[in-house]
Amino acid sequence: MDLHSLIWIAFLLPLAAAVAIALFTRGNRQASAGLSIGAITLSFILTAAYSVVTALNQGGAKASEITWLSVNGSAPGDALNIGLGILLDPLSLMMMMVVTGVGMLIHIYSRGYMKDDPGYSRYFACLSLFTFSMMGIVLATNFVQMFIFWELVGVSSYLLIGFWFGRPAAADAGKKAFITNRIGDFGFLLGILLVWSAFGEVSFSVIADDIAHGGNKLVGMGKFGCLPLATLAGLLIFCGAVGKSAQFPLHVWLPDAMEGPTPVSALIHAATMVAAGVYMLCRTIFIFDDCALLYIAAIGGFTALLAALMAVQQDDIKRILAYSTLSQLGYMVMAVGLNGHGEGATAAMYHLTTHAGFKALLFLGAGSVICATHHEQNIWRMGGLRDRMPSTYWTFIVGTAALMGLPPFSGFYSKDSILSAAAPWINGHGNVILFVIALIVAFLTPFYMTRLVCVAFHGGARTDHARHAKESPGVMTKPLWILAFPAVFAGWAGIDAIFADHFGAHAHYDHWYSYIVGPMEHAPFVAAMGTGLALLGWYMASLLYKDAETDPLPEKLGALGFVTTLMRRRFFFDEIYQRVFVAAHDAFASVANWFDRWIIAGLLVRGSHGTTELVGRVVRMLQTGNLQTYAAFSILGAVALVIVFLIA
Amino acid sequence: MNNLTLIIAIPFLAALGMLFLPRREKDLAQQVAMLATGATALLAIALFVKFETGLPGFQFESKIPFAKALGIWFHFGVDGVNVGLILMGAIVGFAATCVSFDEIRDRQKEFYILLLVMIGGILGSFASMDIFMFFFFHEFALVPTFIMIGVWGRGVDKNYATFKITLYLVVGSMISLAGLIALYLQAPEPRTFNMVELAQIFRDNPIAFGQQNLIFPLLMFGFGILVSLWPFHTWAPLGYGSAPTATAMMHAGVIKKFGLYGLIRIAVPMCPEGAQNWLPLLAFLCLGNILYCGFVAMKQKDLNLLIGNSSVAHMGFVFLGIASLTLIGVTGAVLVMVAHGLLAALTFGLSGYLYGQTRTLDMDRMGGYLNQLPFIGAAMVMAMMAGCGLPGFANFAGEAMVFFGAWKAYPFVTTLAVWGALVIGAVYMLRAIRNILHGEENADNKVSLNDAADWRKRAPFALLLATLLVFGFAPRLLTSKIQPSAKAIVDAANGIETRLVEVAQLDAPAKGGETDLNDVE
Repeated sequence: MDLHSLIWIAFLLPLAAAVAIALFTRGNRQASAGLSIGAITLSFILTAAYSVVTALNQGGAKASEITWLSVNGSAPGDALNIGLGILLDPLSLMMMMVVTGVGMLIHIYSRGYMKDDPGYSRYFACLSLFTFSMMGIVLATNFVQMFIFWELVGVSSYLLIGFWFGRPAAADAGKKAFITNRIGDFGFLLGILLVWSAFGEVSFSVIADDIAHGGNKLVGMGKFGCLPLATLAGLLIFCGAVGKSAQFPLHVWLPDAMEGPTPVSALIHAATMVAAGVYMLCRTIFIFDDCALLYIAAIGGFTALLAALMAVQQDDIKRILAYSTLSQLGYMVMAVGLNGHGEGATAAMYHLTTHAGFKALLFLGAGSVICATHHEQNIWRMGGLRDRMPSTYWTFIVGTAALMGLPPFSGFYSKDSILSAAAPWINGHGNVILFVIALIVAFLTPFYMTRLVCVAFHGGARTDHARHAKESPGVMTKPLWILAFPAVFAGWAGIDAIFADHFGAHAHYDHWYSYIVGPMEHAPFVAAMGTGLALLGWYMASLLYKDAETDPLPEKLGALGFVTTLMRRRFFFDEIYQRVFVAAHDAFASVANWFDRWIIAGLLVRGSHGTTELVGRVVRMLQTGNLQTYAAFSILGAVALVIVFLIA
Repeated sequence: MNNLTLIIAIPFLAALGMLFLPRREKDLAQQVAMLATGATALLAIALFVKFETGLPGFQFESKIPFAKALGIWFHFGVDGVNVGLILMGAIVGFAATCVSFDEIRDRQKEFYILLLVMIGGILGSFASMDIFMFFFFHEFALVPTFIMIGVWGRGVDKNYATFKITLYLVVGSMISLAGLIALYLQAPEPRTFNMVELAQIFRDNPIAFGQQNLIFPLLMFGFGILVSLWPFHTWAPLGYGSAPTATAMMHAGVIKKFGLYGLIRIAVPMCPEGAQNWLPLLAFLCLGNILYCGFVAMKQKDLNLLIGNSSVAHMGFVFLGIASLTLIGVTGAVLVMVAHGLLAALTFGLSGYLYGQTRTLDMDRMGGYLNQLPFIGAAMVMAMMAGCGLPGFANFAGEAMVFFGAWKAYPFVTTLAVWGALVIGAVYMLRAIRNILHGEENADNKVSLNDAADWRKRAPFALLLATLLVFGFAPRLLTSKIQPSAKAIVDAANGIETRLVEVAQLDAPAKGGETDLNDVE
């Protein structure tokens, strides 16, 4: 047995758990939870063991594949070979650790959070399916495998977001998430087709080798409109990430996805689903040309800013975190777009890793608050939770500090690497506009997070539920404490060195103390800017929201108050999409339906049926059976013939 | 009698035997039908397993004279193209028999006789290597459809639906018959009905382009009408909406595939130049199926009309795969045929179950059923997901192959087809789930429903789902069988290219080597 069989087992265990729950243990709640949690825990242990033993395969990637589909025709280019397998390199193994590690804690936490739910077994089956699908993306060896699991992640999220399907809002949110993702997948699949038609292959390693040694075969393939096909292929593949990672303009599903159970939100927002988009971009970084990367960076930067602005005026604790996820994802996508010689992808994966930890922490903390206040999600109906829920509060503070990017928390280091990737004077691949946007986001993030903490946790309780809130049980708080560790220390572990090595970039660890003060060493100005803005945001928000009963921001802005309405209403994107795109699709459908009913089935089919019948009736009238009538017709005919001949 | 002959003979023999059953023995009629179709399904699975993968020719051949003087034989055999169809047809036949138990409450004996004739007929048609028998068996399957809709059908439009489906399908059959006769007459004396011999004859002495150009459209539109090619599709949703469950399952799932099978087996390889000339039109018409019928499905309020339109839409992928004339596309088309047969049977079976419980399929009057119907609801969610091309189900593998196959020849058509598969399909399928299973229970129409509790009620759905999942996880089980046979067909259809190259060879002998390579591969 080869060592990499361990990862095959780790990969298939959650699927086995999902199948076993669906078939055998639906009635047994404890067994279902045990199977699901056991599977992911074992997956985590196996992955960790393999990573330690092989030192993350840093020497060279390992792959193992079975053939899923293979067709080879006679004509040139009429061949399609698709494998399903596992690709083991530092990138996929690190991501596996994040997915299984964070996922495991969320599974355990769910045992407490969902304990009274009648759909307990179904919940754990879906959770395991979700984990399996996500691992399929992480381990994918080729584009088609990635697409397959991409879709499976989509459907698992549909099942989990709409978990409480009896609630119309949840059912609608699941549907919206799935369809919005499908729009992105439409582009993704076209991109895959385009890449396949150029390279005749879908395997990552083959295509990457091809590009490294023979140049990008897409370059010579001409243009579509004004876009070269090489750029177009990159942008189409990026569409997939736009859907999954909820980038503008397909970001609208993510906030609605809050309708799912809170641990699911944590899973979607931290380690799986939305991370898949960024991971996919990093995995397929070889396919993007400079022009495509620029578009990607611009979309990412725009999303980061837009989402941060929206977060400033939300009142729902989960929605604030949802928009902050959007914004951080925008950061990561922007970093990928500013790749340079691998610095961007390194920064993106670095931030993805640290963010997975502290965002899971924040969501699980929010879940703990929601549970304690009897499913209250509006921060203005909370308050004063600091004293009543100390474990939740302090871990939440740690997560907040990491998200704000305060040194020495993990978020500071990864955010700093993104800022340095964007800073034009550091590596020459940066972009001034995007750097400024990144700085604005670095100011807005602490602002809205401080607002959240001040309103929900500080001050006095505003409702009875908040007044009588109790700390959550150990099964929920222990995962919080565990997650607080990476939120503090993950920045000191030199994680970026692993990614930098993989992407061929350079990580700055010149001295032993570089692990802690690295950012100040190699780009002190950027680090100072980031920290300064974070402190400024924190200071302004704590001034504004200390003991506030309602949101003072609209008044403070005075004439600019309408901006807060825009933020609160999410810049009306949902309404615009509803009016324009959904309505257009619906109009097409109505026209087609009308045409089908009245023109094809009505006029043409019934019409020809009617005409035939009418002719039949008319002709029948002639058949009177009366000999005199027939004789008269014959004579008339003869006369007519004679006249015709005479005239001619 | 070998395995294959038994598969076809058993349903007919069972139907024959049932004629002598006393009318009052209703349960016995059901049991005989179930036993016969069950045996057929088991034999078909055995046939599929025993089928030797990788060989291009026919296996399990058997020949029994029918009218020797005319050269007509009961000549059966399977190759990669029809082995999956026979498996699918037999499984759907068994499932259709199972779901009829609760639905058919009067004249059971006649119903099961017709159903058995239908199953035997379509399996015989797929297995026939004789063009005459191929058509003859199809008529056996077709005629019971009309009777079943007329007698056991439902809804106010039942009579109009019967009338319409009969007219359409008879017209389609007649046009394709004209095409088949024209094809038969093109072969030199002594003429043969044997498909393999005919294909060989036409490969060695191709039919003149002018004739091909007339025969191919006859076959394309004749078969096309039978498959609900846009714009000749309006019979399908209405017919299926009015048909008893088993009939809808059999027709939408299995019998409809006759036209597609005919296109792949006969029209394309025997009239390659006609195909080259006419298939681009088919590629555009398939958008009518995929996009237009997809849009129509979005607007349906009745579940059966939604499924019916989506079933018509799915036929578009098969047309696109055939039109691509690549091995990837044609293999994918055959895969979609098998997958869609199972899926259509599954969805119509489920909607029939639902109708049996609620007596309505108006989606506005449903809602929140998933709580009361955990099994049926879960099966329905899976079916709808398979219908919008979710990986893991065989439909995805087939559709993806069609896209890969058609991409180079028809990039724009493929782009729109991908939109139809990924977005439009998802919109109407999820809407059905949302309206029927999710949400709150409809306050005006509170019903108490019984889930399929025992194995007999679950078996048909579980069997269809399991088959879809098996071929979805391991499409290679099918594609590796399809590939050698499909390759012969695609190469025959693309023969025009090799001949063109041969002509060019005279001018440029240096390029000869390449052509040889292509021929050998």
